[in-house]
Amino acid sequence: LGETLSLAHFVAPAHVVTASVVEPLSEGVEADSNGDLTIQVYPGGELGAGPMEQYVRAVQGVADITWGLSGYTSSQFPKSMIVEMPGAIPEGMTGYDMLWNAFDEHLADEFPGTRPLALWVSEPSIFIMRDREIRSPEDLQGLRIRVSGSVPGALVEAFGATPVQMPAGEMYNALQTGLIEGIVTGASAVNDFKLDEVANSYTVGAPLGHIMFYLVMNEERYEGLSEEHRAILDEHTGRGLSQKGEEGWNASAERTLRALRDNPDNTVIDLTEEEIATFTEIADPLREKLIEEMGAEDVLTAMTGN
Amino acid sequence: MLAFLRTNVDRLIGLSSLLGSAALVLVTCVVLVDVIGRYFGAPLRGAQDIGQMSMVIIVFGGMAYCDRIKGHIAVDIFENAFPPRLNHAIDIAVAMLGAAIFSAIAWKVIQSAQLSLMLNLSTNIINLPKAWFQWALAGFSILTALTMALRAVEIILAGPEVHGEQGREVL
Amino acid sequence: MSPDLVGLIGILALFALLALRVPVAFAMFVVGLAGVSVLSSPANAFNLLASETFTLASSAELIVVPLFILMGNVATASGMSRRLYDAAYAIIGSIRGGLASATIVGCGGFAALCGSSVASALTMGRVSLAEMERFNYDPRLSTGAVAAGGTLGILIPPSTGFVVYAILTQQSIGRLFLAGVLPGIMLLLLFILLITALSIMRPSYGPTGPHRSLREKSVALMGAIPIIGIVLLTIGGIYVGFFSPVEAAAVGAGLVIVFSVVARQLTVKSFYHAVRDTIATTATVMLILISAHLLNPFLALSRIPHEVATLLTGLDIGPTGILALILLCYLVLGLFLEGFAMLVLTMPIFFPVVVALGFDPIWFGVLVVLTLEMGLISPPVGVNVFIVKSVAPNVPLRDIFAGVMPFWLVMLVAVILLVLFPQIALFLPNTMIGG
Ligand code: NA
Ligand code: NA
Repeated sequence: LGETLSLAHFVAPAHVVTASVVEPLSEGVEADSNGDLTIQVYPGGELGAGPMEQYVRAVQGVADITWGLSGYTSSQFPKSMIVEMPGAIPEGMTGYDMLWNAFDEHLADEFPGTRPLALWVSEPSIFIMRDREIRSPEDLQGLRIRVSGSVPGALVEAFGATPVQMPAGEMYNALQTGLIEGIVTGASAVNDFKLDEVANSYTVGAPLGHIMFYLVMNEERYEGLSEEHRAILDEHTGRGLSQKGEEGWNASAERTLRALRDNPDNTVIDLTEEEIATFTEIADPLREKLIEEMGAEDVLTAMTGN
Repeated sequence: MLAFLRTNVDRLIGLSSLLGSAALVLVTCVVLVDVIGRYFGAPLRGAQDIGQMSMVIIVFGGMAYCDRIKGHIAVDIFENAFPPRLNHAIDIAVAMLGAAIFSAIAWKVIQSAQLSLMLNLSTNIINLPKAWFQWALAGFSILTALTMALRAVEIILAGPEVHGEQGREVL
Repeated sequence: MSPDLVGLIGILALFALLALRVPVAFAMFVVGLAGVSVLSSPANAFNLLASETFTLASSAELIVVPLFILMGNVATASGMSRRLYDAAYAIIGSIRGGLASATIVGCGGFAALCGSSVASALTMGRVSLAEMERFNYDPRLSTGAVAAGGTLGILIPPSTGFVVYAILTQQSIGRLFLAGVLPGIMLLLLFILLITALSIMRPSYGPTGPHRSLREKSVALMGAIPIIGIVLLTIGGIYVGFFSPVEAAAVGAGLVIVFSVVARQLTVKSFYHAVRDTIATTATVMLILISAHLLNPFLALSRIPHEVATLLTGLDIGPTGILALILLCYLVLGLFLEGFAMLVLTMPIFFPVVVALGFDPIWFGVLVVLTLEMGLISPPVGVNVFIVKSVAPNVPLRDIFAGVMPFWLVMLVAVILLVLFPQIALFLPNTMIGG
């Protein structure tokens, strides 16, 4: 009577997603069900290559559960991805809380065919640069910056740089050869993709937004589980698992930044209030414009709960 | 009847490979304009989106033509060891198998296109709808399936004697 | 039935289908679909078919495949490739076995232009076999040289073999390309050494060619300068960060087209044929890649890669012993399988083992591509041998296989040298783009 759910993702098993989301979920349900409900993990695109089709795979049931980045298919998640926008998360709030606050009323229709098990955001994005120090938007003029998704793309463009989209696995080589001058993403990516070997200057504090992640389960598969298994799964998913994800990313980012600061070959620039303001002047109007174009002011209100 | 079908399928194959060729030339130009534009600080917006979606037309536009010139790699070391009747049967089975595979691809990709519409999927920079290109892929696959089905019929009618004749005529 | 038994049956069925002349891609489609249907569900199998097909067909990285093929095809159609060969021939054609050696150099030059071994052997075969026959070269030497020299196409960058390896294993294409340069040159020199030795032992094998004056040599070299320039710009552009691989391929194709048109060596018709051949070859390659990606989930579900990896890593024969076993696996598989499909089939099994043993993935990539090359010319299934046979219909197949055997042994020597001295592969990537 044992039930095994398949969970597929597209990154190496050592990626931060394993320790912060996959293991808590699989160990939790296995313990509570006395080994009756287990999760079989297929890492590294074993059940299908590439990050683009992760959501579709869950809808079609190629895997019961999949993990993915919303940014790869931005057009599917316009409202959810408000949480990615620079300055959207107010001081003292968390990204996962904002997503779940607005989920039932505004975001559920962006997840047809699946049941989201966790929704969270990464640590704040930083500039990861090779041979360039970024202290103001002027320093970015004409540079080629790798981004993931349309919102950071528009932001980097507004700062005067050229956004470049490329698979995560190519970042290393592109930075090495100078095809791009820098990357906008969370610090945890430095560790996941060994970027510290090729980057040497990191700028922390600019309003660059966050990256949103989802862990979704095929809806029919969920509905088809026994009531008991559903209860166990509910217990270990939702806000609780989302919190683990977000905290796991933040912790990984902190570790990474600490290691970067300890390495004398690197420069870690902590922007001052005045320096941050030069970015905010551009980022805030852009966010407002993007939200206004969508007519989604009420979504942001629901997210922040006021 | 068969000759009529052959003529028209060959015309469609010609059209399909023409579209694939045009997409290849387009991609070459788009990437070049992007590179040159970048040098002058004005890269082509959405070059990557165009490249990715044109790739679908390049790959599947050439599929029927590839089959027509027997471009699919097969291991034929035992061909001469097999009796002619077996070789004839294999040729028919392979053509029918190919027709089945490409029909399945078309059928499932059309279903996926419905899903793409439901999820509102499009490329990240210039929002090219994914479903359009899935339909194109399905259309080229149907033509490829048709090519192979027609070949199966032709091999059956020709009989085992004419095995080994290469199909490399230029369309 | 246990998953690994299903997996084993699937692999055997694949071999059976291949032996029955079912095209490689179709065989992998059938086994992948059936295997996933059994181990998961038919619905999942067919959903995978749709998503893998579209994902690969719309891959941003794989645009390099048609663009590099286009560059090679246009260069062939306009005669640029042949002029490259002429230059090599003029310069070393007069030494013993020189024409065969020139063919090898021409193959090396073509390899620097084209990522495919098949295209290299086909093009060089068309150009050189007739010339060597004219100078009474033994057909065993001439066909052997073309078949073996053609395999340089996937060792000397650009290389479809390295691109596929990089995508399968998440390695950097640029580093792999650089890593292939010195082993490629080494193998090229070993081939020339072999030809010279064979021609000295048996003068009838490779008689000497005519002497060319310095003037004639420089004229021939001048003719090849545009194509040499384009190659240097294209490949060099990737390494200095001027272009991404896709951009470099487009620039290379664009420049070859422009030069051919300006030199009035390309008609609208020959251009269209080059483009259409390109999309046909692209379709062949991509269909194999798509079908292999359908086979991958089947292998993953069967847990066979996991078990083979555990078995191999558990063997008490040391890392070098395991590496030797893996390379032996490739040599054995290479007897039957087409190299490209073999790479996609086996990499999920072996790559994690190799990484776990602490071997350099770039160096391993070069070793694998080298063993793939050996598979291209080894009987019974040697794709390059069949290609050469198709342009030299009068030479019996057994003579061509006899002709390639010395080259196969020399490649084995190259593999051993590379295992003993990994620096041959790693020197360039490590010095030029750091560790
Ligand atoms: Na090459
Ligand atoms: Na072989």
